[in-house]
Amino acid sequence: MEIVINNKSVTVPNKLRDVALIDFIRDFANLKGTKFGCGIGSCGACTVHVNGVANRSCQLRVGDIVGKEVTTIEGLIGTTTNGGLHPVQQAWIDEAVPQCGYCQVGQIMTAVALLNDNPNPTEDEIRNGMSGNLCRCGTYTRIQRAVARVANGGQNVGHS
Amino acid sequence: MSDTVKRMGMSRRSFLANGAWLAAGVTVMLTSCSSVRSALPALPTFDSPETDDALAWIQVLPGGRIRFFCPRMEMGQGVSLGLSQVVAEELNVDRTDIECILPDTGQTPPFKMTVGSEGIANFFEPVSYGAARLREALRALAAKKSGLSPDQVRDGRGGFVLPSGSSLSYGELVPAEPLILSPSDSSTVEAALPRYALQRRGAYKAIGHSWKHQDLEAIVTGKTVYSRDVTVPGMLYGQVVRPPAFGAWLKNADGRAAEAMPGVIAVVIDKETNFVGVVTNNPFVLPAAMQEIETHWDMPDDLNQDHLEARLDVEKHRVHDNFEHTLSSAGDIGTGRARAVHQTTARYDTSFATHAQMEPRASVAWVKKDKVEVWCGSQDPFFVQRRIAKAVGRNVEDVLVHSHRLGGGFGGRTQCIASEEAAVLSAAVSKPVRVQWDRNAEFQNNYCQPVFSHFIDAGVNNEGEISHWEHDFISSPIMTGMIGGLVPGIVTWAVDQVVTDKGTARGALSPYHLSNHRVRFSDIRTAVPTGAWRGLGTAPNNFAIESMIDELAVAAGIDPLDLRLLNLPPESQRLANVLRKVAEMAKWGQPVQPDTGMGIACAVYKGLTAVAVVAEVQMDHAARELRVTKTWCAQDCGLVVNPDQVENQIMGNIVWGCSMALKERLTVKAGSIEQRNFDTYNILRHHEAPEIIVELMDSSEAPVGVGESAFGPVAPAIANAIFSATGRRIRRLPISYGSVFPDAKS
Repeated sequence: MEIVINNKSVTVPNKLRDVALIDFIRDFANLKGTKFGCGIGSCGACTVHVNGVANRSCQLRVGDIVGKEVTTIEGLIGTTTNGGLHPVQQAWIDEAVPQCGYCQVGQIMTAVALLNDNPNPTEDEIRNGMSGNLCRCGTYTRIQRAVARVANGGQNVGHS
Repeated sequence: MSDTVKRMGMSRRSFLANGAWLAAGVTVMLTSCSSVRSALPALPTFDSPETDDALAWIQVLPGGRIRFFCPRMEMGQGVSLGLSQVVAEELNVDRTDIECILPDTGQTPPFKMTVGSEGIANFFEPVSYGAARLREALRALAAKKSGLSPDQVRDGRGGFVLPSGSSLSYGELVPAEPLILSPSDSSTVEAALPRYALQRRGAYKAIGHSWKHQDLEAIVTGKTVYSRDVTVPGMLYGQVVRPPAFGAWLKNADGRAAEAMPGVIAVVIDKETNFVGVVTNNPFVLPAAMQEIETHWDMPDDLNQDHLEARLDVEKHRVHDNFEHTLSSAGDIGTGRARAVHQTTARYDTSFATHAQMEPRASVAWVKKDKVEVWCGSQDPFFVQRRIAKAVGRNVEDVLVHSHRLGGGFGGRTQCIASEEAAVLSAAVSKPVRVQWDRNAEFQNNYCQPVFSHFIDAGVNNEGEISHWEHDFISSPIMTGMIGGLVPGIVTWAVDQVVTDKGTARGALSPYHLSNHRVRFSDIRTAVPTGAWRGLGTAPNNFAIESMIDELAVAAGIDPLDLRLLNLPPESQRLANVLRKVAEMAKWGQPVQPDTGMGIACAVYKGLTAVAVVAEVQMDHAARELRVTKTWCAQDCGLVVNPDQVENQIMGNIVWGCSMALKERLTVKAGSIEQRNFDTYNILRHHEAPEIIVELMDSSEAPVGVGESAFGPVAPAIANAIFSATGRRIRRLPISYGSVFPDAKS
């Protein structure tokens, strides 16, 4: 059985078919950018893309994604034309969003999927679209600003 | 009590390291011997920095880059950036010229645990000293090299400028060996060491600028290595079966079924230290192996929320007029009360709470023959070092703790039990072992914020002055809370008798002029482990004080802002200023929409940081929802090293304060924490967060703490706003629509 992670094919040993995708990504594929937060799909720290859709990797089994493509934070770089940081990552830096930083990979993966679906979200659409991702440091206002900045072509949207 | 005595005796001998269990699973029965080393427990690191410690923090690398071993752990508060800016100011370099490292325990002298919003407040000065000493040592080198006197060598960027106009970079001065000053090297100690971080006010090149954190790119690309991400070649995977209730003690354990499983290396059982764990060669078999371990426990007496709330009920203690500590007392309550024209009594209660940092703790430990290595994110790596030395019976100097950025700390990560578990397991199998806690382990095995139960009797005289203030409260130890598991029961008992816990009491004295007052409290230890949670007693105590001030204002028919200003003593000018500022920002006093209210509250965190908050709430009766829509915060934290970082901290404080006010309640059932994950312990989510507007006061006073200063006033500002919107006074946290309108039909 094979799955595709970040455009690379990975052979899944039979006995790991029932393992949670997050554990497979972190401990088999050795991609540590995806974070464990709760294990019950409640915090969003482990968010990855499956065929471009944001998913909680703690809520999927490896066997669930045969024939699908997984993108993790490690695969986000280079997905845009300039090959550098994804505009969402750049906006996160420009707005200096992170504090401890632990949840931010999941936040960014959710934001990328949100913006792919809806390139010009309203404030409420951002708030609701991001509400599944917890941040204990409380960076929500800056997450809001960063997502709005991407929608605004990378420019600041008017806060001081 | 006997439990703690038993734990004290723990000392594992090196015979465990001989590694006889290489092939299939075996059960390792440990018998703890009484300690061959000091019987004194390992305690957290309290020492303030010595002047010359700073010399070990900063060095020049060959080529001229500055290496800065940051003496504060980074957990999102931005201290490694702020202190780097102090280094940059003194050494005339840019952020990118500095390699900032969270030091391991071998790289610097021990430094105090990273707590209490002290990173800038207490380390600005020593870091400035160390960097200034280094700069002047470089200047002396430049003078020597160019045959000039040091005063002819002027500052340049990343080096010096000579009278000829030519420049000499740090790289040219330090070509081969790193330049590290030692305490005995006094050649650079001039009578007056220039201190740019202290003296360049108004002309700062680094301080006061919103530099971006050096770790941002690593964070957003997932490259930051938190302790949970550490991989050590050849490492095994461990997990521990933890007691099912506070105080439960292992009767027996059977690991035979687990041992028989492929991939299981060892089951480790030690009844004397209440330890059962398993080691596997593969992380994916760990859950199944855990399932196969059978344990039986001696259970303590049943403990639940009702028992605890009854023990910590302030009114019950008032019946017996029995409080352990009088924090402050002046004048005469009876005389004051006689002059009151408006009098109010009220009780205020807050809940147990947990840190819920997003990274559940994890660690890798490798107990080798002559050395122990530990990879761990902790607010106090030197405490972890001492704890590990105790746990595996080694000398402290043989234990090396590698530090990692923490995925949130908030006071909950001074110790790291996951590291100790990993070390004990590693000692048993002589291989590096990784232990990762899941969310349930994090909730169950952490100390928590205690409940607070307050009673205040206060009044206002006909001049609007507070006539009397009688304030009693009950909570549990915070500063000394965590010694419960570390020192013998008799020591804990003695400490509780004599120590007025400064953590529990933090913020319990109001900033107002109170001619007739008495503030008393008791810190009562229960079976629930309690300890430092962001701000310690600040927020629960501020909730009681600032709610009562609002109640007095309402009773006296005085605007709550005016009552505060009227009762602040002249020396509280900075607090008065932030109150006026926040009122201006929020357009305090203007009419608001129906079902909307504004509330104000303020505090002086640790007697240093003046902060005022206004909250706007809206009651949505159709949706039966209460929303905090907008918050304004004005803060005076002295000199601001990085305005953008301070704003981010204040935003975090506001969100944390809303979360405490509206969401968080930890309860105890059948001797353990009832909540096991974020489905039952709710913290504030993105769509529930208010708009946040922050202003910082211009100040040239010394910089003070910002990491937990602004969140105390948030809950009372919200409760006061709810009163303004509804006429209903809420005195218990957390608040929901249902607690404001318990009688309303859904």
